[in-house]
Amino acid sequence: MELIKKARQSQWYGVGLLLVVTALVWTAFKLLCPTTFGAPDQMLTYLQTGLIYAVGGCGLYFIVVMGLWDFSIGSVLVLSSLVSIGFAQRFGVFGLVVAPVVCGALLGAANGLAYIKLRIPSLIVTVGLSLIYESLSVFAADAYGTRLSDAYKMFGSYPYNLILALLAFGLCTFILGYTKLGTYVNAIGANEATAKNMGVNVDRYKFFAFVLCSLFVGIMSILYIGYGTAQTPMTGMLSQSLNFKPLMGTFFGLAFKRYGHPVASIVIGEFIISMMFAGFVALGMPVTINNVVTGATLLAIVCMTVKRVNGAVVK
Amino acid sequence: MSNKLLLHAEKIDKSFGPTHAVNEVSLDFYEGEIHALIGENGSGKSTFTNMLTGILPIGSGTFTLDGGDVAPKNQVDANHHGIAIVVQETGTLSGLTVAENMFLGDEDQFARGGIKDSAAMNRKAQELLDAYGLGHIKATSVIDHYDFEDRKLVEIVKSTWFDPKVLVIDETTTALSQSGRQKLFEVMRHVRDLGHCVIFISHDMGEVLDMSDRISILRDGVFITTVERGEVDEDRLKTLMVGREMDDHYYRTDFPDYAKEAPGEVAVSLRGVSVPGEIDDVSFDLHHGEILGIGGLSECGMHEVGKAIFGASFDRSGEVSLADGTQVKDINTAIDHSIAYASKDRDNESLLINDTIEDNITLPSMRDMGLVLSDRHLYEFADTYAKLMSTKMVSVKQFVSALSGGNKQKVVLARWLGKQSDILVLDSPTRGIDIKVKAAIYALLEQMRAEGKAILIISEEIMELIGMCDRILVMKDGTINGELTRDPDLSEQDLIAKMV
Repeated sequence: MELIKKARQSQWYGVGLLLVVTALVWTAFKLLCPTTFGAPDQMLTYLQTGLIYAVGGCGLYFIVVMGLWDFSIGSVLVLSSLVSIGFAQRFGVFGLVVAPVVCGALLGAANGLAYIKLRIPSLIVTVGLSLIYESLSVFAADAYGTRLSDAYKMFGSYPYNLILALLAFGLCTFILGYTKLGTYVNAIGANEATAKNMGVNVDRYKFFAFVLCSLFVGIMSILYIGYGTAQTPMTGMLSQSLNFKPLMGTFFGLAFKRYGHPVASIVIGEFIISMMFAGFVALGMPVTINNVVTGATLLAIVCMTVKRVNGAVVK
Repeated sequence: MSNKLLLHAEKIDKSFGPTHAVNEVSLDFYEGEIHALIGENGSGKSTFTNMLTGILPIGSGTFTLDGGDVAPKNQVDANHHGIAIVVQETGTLSGLTVAENMFLGDEDQFARGGIKDSAAMNRKAQELLDAYGLGHIKATSVIDHYDFEDRKLVEIVKSTWFDPKVLVIDETTTALSQSGRQKLFEVMRHVRDLGHCVIFISHDMGEVLDMSDRISILRDGVFITTVERGEVDEDRLKTLMVGREMDDHYYRTDFPDYAKEAPGEVAVSLRGVSVPGEIDDVSFDLHHGEILGIGGLSECGMHEVGKAIFGASFDRSGEVSLADGTQVKDINTAIDHSIAYASKDRDNESLLINDTIEDNITLPSMRDMGLVLSDRHLYEFADTYAKLMSTKMVSVKQFVSALSGGNKQKVVLARWLGKQSDILVLDSPTRGIDIKVKAAIYALLEQMRAEGKAILIISEEIMELIGMCDRILVMKDGTINGELTRDPDLSEQDLIAKMV
């Protein structure tokens, strides 16, 4: 018992647990479909999709850890992807990489400013602004087109995708662990009033968190457009469907936050989800069933790790 | 203790709406002293020290430290002025490491070019923890891994490692075990021995007399006096703390002989009710036609008893049963069987603060109104009971958030009057309420008692309990520590003796 207690207190317990879950998921699907699932080259493909969403999940973590929401990331992803396509045509690799990151950061700044100035819930602000970003994506598609030139698809495959993703994870780890902002977003999430009493400028750090969130979605869009090679504009809140997968990774990060490695948890969590999707495809299951099982698995993992208090108000 | 003045408070004043929490308090604190600040709940002690430490803005008046005015903007700013506090509640933040909590808001000392040197911060935090004899706490661990006492000890290190000139200990000892208290007392003596000052707030009179050099008393926000430790004993301190006349105008004036006059039938019975960490093995009966009071210090568990009766205490064991044998295990059963509950946390637990008076009053009664609700009926229902309670409002369509504290409480009571509840559990029914509304609420309670309703008042106001209740149960450390019956000679000291 003492050993288990010590293990649970270790800062590597969460990552270890996730790696065990990864191995279990792989073993289960490998046993069910030995020829169509889990070969090394297939594992690299699962990792590739996992990396894309994990980068977005890292950005969203800054927001959700404070108890806020950003439901504009799908529209930011679409718009940044289209901007990336357009700027790659004019400025080459420089445009491909820099333009979506700048675009994401600017949209994040707009989200942050609107949230701080309007003083209305983040969910409403970001849903409202996502409608505007969706409309902008139509103009961007008209202006730049919707296909990425073959010359700029390098971030859709190894090793460039891995290098960019690792840089993004490194940046996120650095900000969370080695800057005041990392400490303050956690502090604001734990108790905003106390954080204010400790001299934390809550509005300023919420603004920065929104900027970082969309900046990471901008980085995600480089990987996303490299992998998919084309992006059509989305309107009528269709972009909301793109929010879900990065958010899943963020949930893993939050659930394992107390073990101290949220970025690793986001990455491994996205990899598990990516593997499960592929596993269900290998089993020949329809996408709807995939979603049911994946959603249930996510809830089960989070329930296992979160200390739930009987009768407590949960929002 | 030296005679050199360290901190001077000049006419410090603070109001919250109609409540005058601190009334032009002037006080001197000297170098090398532990200076206790005592008074009843609501006497203004914490408000006074919260202004000194930047948790609350100063209403008016000035603090002068070492000859210069100080008005801290927040706790970290206060630390920079050499003032620190260990607060009554948990002051650490979940999700942050021990080291991050210790240096929250003050990370710049470990930053170079905006980059935080976490390793240096962790090293410094661990050095401090080790120096305080708290080596079992790891600086790099997330604070959530530690229990309440360890978190409190981390706060003590956080507040004292930089040798503050003024250290405020606000009712911290109740959160600590004996060894934790000894640790705290060592720290307090160390601060004093350095020639600095400790402002010590505690309800434990023995502790106050053991630790303090001088003791200042506040009552209802007003400074009463400062005494030297050798001049007083516990009884004298209690008298100074609570020594005010009972006001006959708004309390009950009848004194029925509880021993001779049989009370009404039992309305609710509690048998062996426990809630982990809150109350332990609480048993009593509440009768019809009786006002039963429960008193004690704020953290004695009395507030949990009210929740337990209403089925709102989720980890409860033991039995809460009604006269017909019904077991109350959840809130719906309680409401269906005519139990009403008003929480101490009025805005968060009793009211839908961003909703209309109408919705607030009609909500529990809707279950008796059939499937289809009539707008007109709901309006008239709410209007009737709001007016019965003399609620000051434009109409029942007005939002509750716009009402004063007293009128909010009237809405809570109107709700349960409308539900025709026979058993009322009222936690701090007059908290933050002015005298006029207080008198109205007391008159209503008296009337309901005469109608045979069973009323339980949970209160931190001793005079309210003495003035209104037929019986008073005094709680201490989660258990019932004594029972007193209504008597004209019953004094506040009788209750305090069982509370502390």
